[in-house]
Amino acid sequence: MSASTLRRRAAVLLVTGGLAVTAACSPIDSSGGDDNGAGQGQIRPGGELRVALAEEPDILDPTLARTLVGRVVFNAICEKLYDVDADLNLVPQLAADMPDFAADGLSMTIPIRQDVVFADGTPLNAEAVKISLDRHRELEGSARSAELASVDSVELVDEFTVQINLNAPFSPLTSVLADRAGMIMSPAALAEKGEDFGTDPVCVGPFRFENRVAQDRIEVVKDPNYYDADTVYLDKVTYLIIADSTTRFNNLLSGEVEVQDRVAPTDVAALEARDDLRLISSDSLGYQGITINIGNANGVTQPPGELPEDLASPLSRNPVVRRALEMSLDREAINQAVFLGQFSPACGPISPASPFSSDVAQTCREHNPTAALDLLDRAGVETPVRVEMMIGTDAQARRLGEAIQAQAAEGGFEIVLNPTEFSAALDLADQGQFQTFQIGWSGRVDPDGNIASFLTTQAPLNTSGYSNPEADRLIAEARAATDVAQRRELYAQLHELLQDDLPIIYLYRQRNLTGVSDRVAGVEVYGDGLLRFAHAGFVEE
Amino acid sequence: MGRYLLRRLVESAVTLVLATMVVFAGVRALPGDPARTLAGEEADPAAIAAIREKYGLDQPLPVQYYRYVENLLHGDMGRSLRTGLPVTETIAAALPVTLQLAVFSLVVAVLIGVGAGVVAAVRRRGPAEWGANAVALLGLSVPNFWLGLMMILVFAIAFPVLPASGFVSVFEDPVESFRHLLMPALVLGTGLAAVVMRQTRSAMLEALSADYVRTARAKGLSQAQVVLGHALRNSLIVVTTIVGLQLGALISGAVVTEQIFVLPGFGKLTIDAVFTRDYPMIQGVVLVTAAGYIVINLLVDLLYSVIDPRIRVGGGDL
Repeated sequence: MSASTLRRRAAVLLVTGGLAVTAACSPIDSSGGDDNGAGQGQIRPGGELRVALAEEPDILDPTLARTLVGRVVFNAICEKLYDVDADLNLVPQLAADMPDFAADGLSMTIPIRQDVVFADGTPLNAEAVKISLDRHRELEGSARSAELASVDSVELVDEFTVQINLNAPFSPLTSVLADRAGMIMSPAALAEKGEDFGTDPVCVGPFRFENRVAQDRIEVVKDPNYYDADTVYLDKVTYLIIADSTTRFNNLLSGEVEVQDRVAPTDVAALEARDDLRLISSDSLGYQGITINIGNANGVTQPPGELPEDLASPLSRNPVVRRALEMSLDREAINQAVFLGQFSPACGPISPASPFSSDVAQTCREHNPTAALDLLDRAGVETPVRVEMMIGTDAQARRLGEAIQAQAAEGGFEIVLNPTEFSAALDLADQGQFQTFQIGWSGRVDPDGNIASFLTTQAPLNTSGYSNPEADRLIAEARAATDVAQRRELYAQLHELLQDDLPIIYLYRQRNLTGVSDRVAGVEVYGDGLLRFAHAGFVEE
Repeated sequence: MGRYLLRRLVESAVTLVLATMVVFAGVRALPGDPARTLAGEEADPAAIAAIREKYGLDQPLPVQYYRYVENLLHGDMGRSLRTGLPVTETIAAALPVTLQLAVFSLVVAVLIGVGAGVVAAVRRRGPAEWGANAVALLGLSVPNFWLGLMMILVFAIAFPVLPASGFVSVFEDPVESFRHLLMPALVLGTGLAAVVMRQTRSAMLEALSADYVRTARAKGLSQAQVVLGHALRNSLIVVTTIVGLQLGALISGAVVTEQIFVLPGFGKLTIDAVFTRDYPMIQGVVLVTAAGYIVINLLVDLLYSVIDPRIRVGGGDL
């Protein structure tokens, strides 16, 4: 696997392969309480749950944090104004109700829960919310400032109500507040620790931060101050960082951990064969695909232009050639060959699990290499069309690259694989120094998060250099619209446009595969793909 | 001896300064921008610029180097770009893990390697030598990661007698520490054991055919006294050199073992730092590694004179 975190690595623009994913969809391992999902006895209070994470989270400061895996830990210790439920609907968490948007869409009013104190005993109120939101927007180096760019100011209405004033209507804001930008930090702890807040974060959550050993573990313990502490069973959760997927799996098998994040598709059969383990599987909101450099001549965020001779190819110049490449790829075969059928084919940026998806948004161009050759012939392109593809350096990325290479060859393409270390690859992509790049995105609850930054002209992650005024218009209208049906229709139109232009050939969606010991029940993985332990616990023997 | 030591210390200091320059320039020559890597999915140009400014990455290189050295002289290696934790503390936590693993592996390697080497030299052309050679060949040719995974499958999953992962310090709980480090040390030690075995064997063969051994036998000493008291002691010079050189390699070679057994050690720290372009952390680990090599080499040179008094460090009066 790759980086993290990155893999990711720094994790998050994800090269294929184990670096992974925010996920979605519903079905899960149950909720807490009576339904323990394991078919065993009742959950008993107490115990330490050990969880194997694939990457090390970065700084545990909601304002500065940037890794996907960090959100898993935040989920236990830092609640947000809003959250998602099992069906990906936004629901209030620290807010008392859904926001009330002004008719012109230029402000939203949020009532705050009145029964909440932070882990250090400081009461939660509108003032605390304003301090956190302002810090997210203004702190030097904040990773939240771009997400909250639409916010003009935050005002106190009364002790438990804030009003957020916007500089333009931005309907995805509620979903933004259901992520790190909506995490509220203890004002007393902020005042005391300042920039060091991330070394000992204090928020509201079923658990509070206890200890961190760099590159080894993060420990959180049950917070007696939590407003819903009676429903929290576990005394402690220890997140262990185990980068290698085989090692993670071995630790689950040997009982060193009870929960394994990101089970490798190759380990699924072995896991399912065991009586004492079970698999939680849910769709991802993100995607993996091939980004094609069609106009990134001057670097990302710069005006698109003509590619230099060494990068230009029929693929970059002609959308018909890109369609031929897409037709030569058999997504289901890739899924079977590389991921043993554990993932799902994808043809667009919106997950079928999203309420904003539609039949149109899931349409796919048919796999037909013969037709692809015909298209190339009619376009007057000499075959094979030679294209370089930047891929990750791990085994799975290579397997995927080779599958693409073999299939594309049947459709008249000669793909040259160019394995590139993750950090270097990101740099080359930003500079436009590539022809094609196999990369993906972890996914966001609101589809705008999967679309706007990648497909709007000169957007920060538009490494393809794609620019189509019609696409820009549809994206802008969809983010201003508050009606779900209207947005769904706009995204359907956008999907059809993207099918013609193909700046990105979407290939597949990863699934979140979580391994859980039968000794544990109540582990939840939904919506945003985070592991949730608020109602998890050990079952009575 | 005193002058020799002084000279070596000055040389070491110069080497360290050079090391800081090389690593400082080296990490910055790597392709990949730490600010971009750090920005992750939030790769907004403004965010990237803010990160550069926050960590001083927008300053000219000489200014960055000056600040780095200035902080270093105050014992401050900076903070990790990724976790925000102090580099010094992070290294201080990781180093004992790898050192304990390395020492344990070394003990394993010396016990197996010297034992097998002596047997192979004394019982030549017999099953004992073939057996020892076979062990050496296996030790050299079986990859660490495979051996590690196999051991976990057997001793942690099929017959759960040892923990599959984790670390307990020997100073906290020696028994648990032994249980946690046994498999990693065997995995890491077998490769080195093979090297030590071969070196011991050839040095022993040479020693056993030397005049002083014949004299010793003529004096009527027992086989054990001849082998252990005379031949082995003289052979240990070579073995000590090898072990000294390999200790550094053990520390850097512990990466794979640390990954497999989830030991929060130095090798894992290094790899993670490089992948995330965590400049302060890379600089910290390389500097500590360089210092480690220098100290070990110095100690090995000094140890020669203890094992073989005929060697006078720095002297010309042999």
